[in-house]
Amino acid sequence: MQNAGIAFAIRPCEVREMRVRPSIGAAVVVWVCVVAGCAPMRVSSHVDRELDFTRYRTFDWGPADALPAGDARLERNAFFQDHVQGAIERNMAAKGFERAPATAEPDVRIHFHAVVDRRLDVNRLDAQSGYCSRNDCQGGVSEYEEGTLVIDMIDVRTNRLVWRGWAQDSVEGVLDNEDRLARKIEDAVRLMLMRLPAAR
Amino acid sequence: MSSTQLSVRLSLVMIAALLLASCAPIGVDSYVGRDLDLRRYHTYAWAPPDAFSTGDPRLDNNTFFIERVQQAVDGQLRQKGFEKVSAGQPDVVVHYHARVEQRLDSSVLRPGEPDCQTGDCGPVVYDAGTLLIDFVDPRSNQLIWRGWAERGLQGVVDNQTLMDAAVDDAVRRIMERFPS
Repeated sequence: MQNAGIAFAIRPCEVREMRVRPSIGAAVVVWVCVVAGCAPMRVSSHVDRELDFTRYRTFDWGPADALPAGDARLERNAFFQDHVQGAIERNMAAKGFERAPATAEPDVRIHFHAVVDRRLDVNRLDAQSGYCSRNDCQGGVSEYEEGTLVIDMIDVRTNRLVWRGWAQDSVEGVLDNEDRLARKIEDAVRLMLMRLPAAR
Repeated sequence: MSSTQLSVRLSLVMIAALLLASCAPIGVDSYVGRDLDLRRYHTYAWAPPDAFSTGDPRLDNNTFFIERVQQAVDGQLRQKGFEKVSAGQPDVVVHYHARVEQRLDSSVLRPGEPDCQTGDCGPVVYDAGTLLIDFVDPRSNQLIWRGWAERGLQGVVDNQTLMDAAVDDAVRRIMERFPS
């Protein structure tokens, strides 16, 4: 669990302020994560805030956007594609959305894409959990693979993006393990779509 | 530690040594084409958004971000007396590019240094965002002005309100440097 994906992307100025009051709570959470092997998934979204989402009820799948989606291990991976699609359909149904019948135009079209990037991570855990003393902690920098799953929702009438959600997490040891990949997809889609306003 | 890990670690230390980032909250700078009087430009139009990746999948093809940048620039140019035109040739074509890169900053204290009180010192990684605005004269196809701003993006993209404010602030500071 060296690459736990705990992305401490902290700006230097803020770090100096924060060090004055080290948070015991945060250290405990981090320690629990190291022991239990959990990685924090970061989930968020952007939304058209002036839009009333109760005007939408039906959805269908749309074409992917123009940018290359990134990782070939996921792009041509039927297991990944099927699981994301299935998870989105289940969570959309729970939100009150219906899959549009083949003969009708949907209210919104959904597409998703995944990107895998190499990211740096500074590992501060050794010092916090007492694995090294003050003088031999190196503040190790490691590299890990971070996956980003993006879901876009486009209004069919206006052809505008009305909602985008994403989840980012370390995918070390996940892409070649179907069980772990399936669990990661389930969590990512559920947490993302929790942020989507409900349909009418 | 395996030899691969060791070499990764060593190369990162070398990168870290090269990247002594300053602590400025936002860096802004600009460039003016030589011998140009920017006051003779009055109308502008947007170039089509570029097809390059920003380096951040959250921002690629993100119309919430794209439109916020354009609205902020539109507002600043209006205040400077520029008029946006949709027909005919504008005096300048405006183009912007956003880029997000992860940076490693090693300028902070090292464990073992006397000033490192907590034992929690060492390099930090953070996302640096650069927003760049170009003004191009369509007749000569020359870059006449370029302004840019760079800042850390910790927690910014994930929070739409913070992102909107960061875009507005960066655009305002960039356009302050544009002669009017």
